[in-house]
Amino acid sequence: MSEQAGPTQSRLLRGVHRTVTGLHPALESMLAALIGLLVGAALMYMWGFNPWKAYWALLRGAYGGSYEWASTLARATPLILTALTFSVCVRAGMFNIGAEGQMFMGAMAAICVALFKMPPGIHLIVGLLFALIAGAAWSIVPAVLKITRGVSEVISTIMFNWIARWLALYIAIFILVDPSRAEKTLTIPVSARFPILVRGTDFSYSFFLAIFAALVLYFVLWHTTMGYEVRAAGLNPTAARYGGIRNKRTMIVSFLLGGITAGLAGATVVMGMPPSYAAFGGGAFPELTNIGFDGMAVAMVGRNHPIGIIVASVLFGGLNAGGRVMQFYGSNPVPLEMVRIVMGAIVLAMSIPELIRLVPAIKSQGERLIATLRRHGRPASKEGSA
Amino acid sequence: MKRLLVVALVLTLGLSVAGLAAGKVAVVLDVGGRGDLAFNDMGFKGTDQAAKDFNLQMVEVQCATGADYLPNMRNLARTGEYDLIICVGFLLGDALAAAATEFPNQKFAIIDVDYITGPNIMNFVFRENEMSALVGALAAMSAAQHGYTTAGIVLGIEIPVLWHFEAGFRFGMDWGLKAYAAHEGTMPAVNLLYTYTGTFSDIALGKAASEAMLAQGAVGIYNVAGPLGVGDLEAVTEVHDNAGTKYGPPYYYGVDADQDWMGNGMHGIASGMKRVDTACYMAVEAVVNGTFTPGVTSLGLAEGGVAISKVRDMEEFIQYGIGAGQIAAADAPAITYNWVQNRLTVADWIWDAVALLEQGILNNSIFVPTASTGAEIATVRAQYTLGAP
Repeated sequence: MSEQAGPTQSRLLRGVHRTVTGLHPALESMLAALIGLLVGAALMYMWGFNPWKAYWALLRGAYGGSYEWASTLARATPLILTALTFSVCVRAGMFNIGAEGQMFMGAMAAICVALFKMPPGIHLIVGLLFALIAGAAWSIVPAVLKITRGVSEVISTIMFNWIARWLALYIAIFILVDPSRAEKTLTIPVSARFPILVRGTDFSYSFFLAIFAALVLYFVLWHTTMGYEVRAAGLNPTAARYGGIRNKRTMIVSFLLGGITAGLAGATVVMGMPPSYAAFGGGAFPELTNIGFDGMAVAMVGRNHPIGIIVASVLFGGLNAGGRVMQFYGSNPVPLEMVRIVMGAIVLAMSIPELIRLVPAIKSQGERLIATLRRHGRPASKEGSA
Repeated sequence: MKRLLVVALVLTLGLSVAGLAAGKVAVVLDVGGRGDLAFNDMGFKGTDQAAKDFNLQMVEVQCATGADYLPNMRNLARTGEYDLIICVGFLLGDALAAAATEFPNQKFAIIDVDYITGPNIMNFVFRENEMSALVGALAAMSAAQHGYTTAGIVLGIEIPVLWHFEAGFRFGMDWGLKAYAAHEGTMPAVNLLYTYTGTFSDIALGKAASEAMLAQGAVGIYNVAGPLGVGDLEAVTEVHDNAGTKYGPPYYYGVDADQDWMGNGMHGIASGMKRVDTACYMAVEAVVNGTFTPGVTSLGLAEGGVAISKVRDMEEFIQYGIGAGQIAAADAPAITYNWVQNRLTVADWIWDAVALLEQGILNNSIFVPTASTGAEIATVRAQYTLGAP
């Protein structure tokens, strides 16, 4: 993507860009993580917490043993899937912000299996099918809008997130509601749950579904013609079209693949996370909210590569699991607010290399958006020469 | 003499507990988290107070997402160091039920949940309908006094716990209107406006809902959505700023904590307090005294679990606010002054009538309906329509 950075790009940015992209990706990530950890340490020190003790708690809580590893991987599972949603569309040259909404739809669809009985296993597979169909269906509308009307997928997917959130709340409160417990939906029966892998933790077989999805996407993107076309269209749509690639098809394909993984992410939460196996409309979905957005950060840290995403999700899951422990471990409890600031610093630092790499694409998105707005009249006139 | 002995015994016991091993208590909060000036902060306050009084170490664990509920409880219980783990909020119910089965030797307490059975769990629930009835009666009567035509409640997500508030408020308004008719001779027409905003976090939605109600002539807004009260109060304050009025209607009715001090005490006239702190304190006290009793403890007016805010509550919460850095000590007298001035805009006999209703509930001569299911709230809504379906 950096190759197409035009003369419009500022010299400074180009310099930073070249320096950063010149490093080996793994080295680059380690450097970024180090910077993030140092910023986090400085912040904790400034507010009177002992950074070393806190980081020790984080490390212990994330990777200190089998229980901790299981907690980390359990948290990583849905994030792998929503990260795939974002990354497959980035590979196709688009910014699909809609994982959150597609994930909500997938979760609601999966809960529908509570309405009927089936043999174990088959019940689970039917639920997953429901979820991936719902996720894909929810991603189709922004894709079609983009292809037929040129609607920016950034805007349409963000809007669709809100529609999905409120629609899911409506479904959870009025349709799939548990009559005896109005705050939550029906409970997914045992026959449709992912079995727990490590007793006494949240770690279930859903993890393998996420890994499987990542491997499948890797295979599709790098070892099939369709994947080649998707990536080619992402690198340079004009050249791809000249080369005979139907860009509209690659857009639809990447959106559908993204919708499927996001839908499955919703399913892994409601079908794989003890103890409730339900969604809580009465708490505005504390268990689902932000999984789609966190997935975007995981995708950035994982360089929008399926294998990178698996590695990044282990880091993210670790930050989450370790962050819980930081709150009470030893003589230096760190309140959740500070834990989240530190996590934010680490994640931000680690996302920066990929963010910089995406600058040209983000910029062309913005320019296209402004051009569209200008074509349709008033609001853009203020932006002037942007 | 006997009493002296008991006191001495309790003191030595208390000291020996403190001396032997300063125990540990943990409080687990759900995703709402601290800073709501209501439910979660009250949970913290009560546990913190108990920890100080009984010389225990306290840790607070919040949840960033719903996926943290059970892991947080497991993490704490696994250490085996905690004498008691208090879970604040009904959303933690399922996770606690699982954790309590996995760790049978760990004592737990939970607020707002009544369905978890087990020898190691105390469930605390509140009869929110009782204090909401008092707030409703106050709102209806003061609306009639000032010629307002409606009174508003801004609620959070439509869950059974919130139906208790709504049912009580409806009954209270109805009772208040009848009391007004008995006193003044004419039946006033004051209607109810209520909105379930669907959120316990979006302050802007609270403000928007309040503005809509105030535009329809609401005498005040009863906040039943924790932090949304900040937005409710903002809307009320703007009405006063635009009209150039200082005290009087529209009023703000706080919830959970005594929120009367918010906004310098200018418009918060009374709060429907749900003493989550009392429940947390009771739980810790029970563990310390060895009187831990599994099952459900229901707290109402009679137990001091719910109340309408009074002078002593105002003092307590101003002190607490100063301690927490939310109120500057120098502002305290002005806040109290404003609050008293604002309260004086409601006729004395109305305050007496509210006190009468409180007495009636306390001595069981007045029964306040409640609702925990969709069918029950439908019945209450049908019985006390108040112009609102």
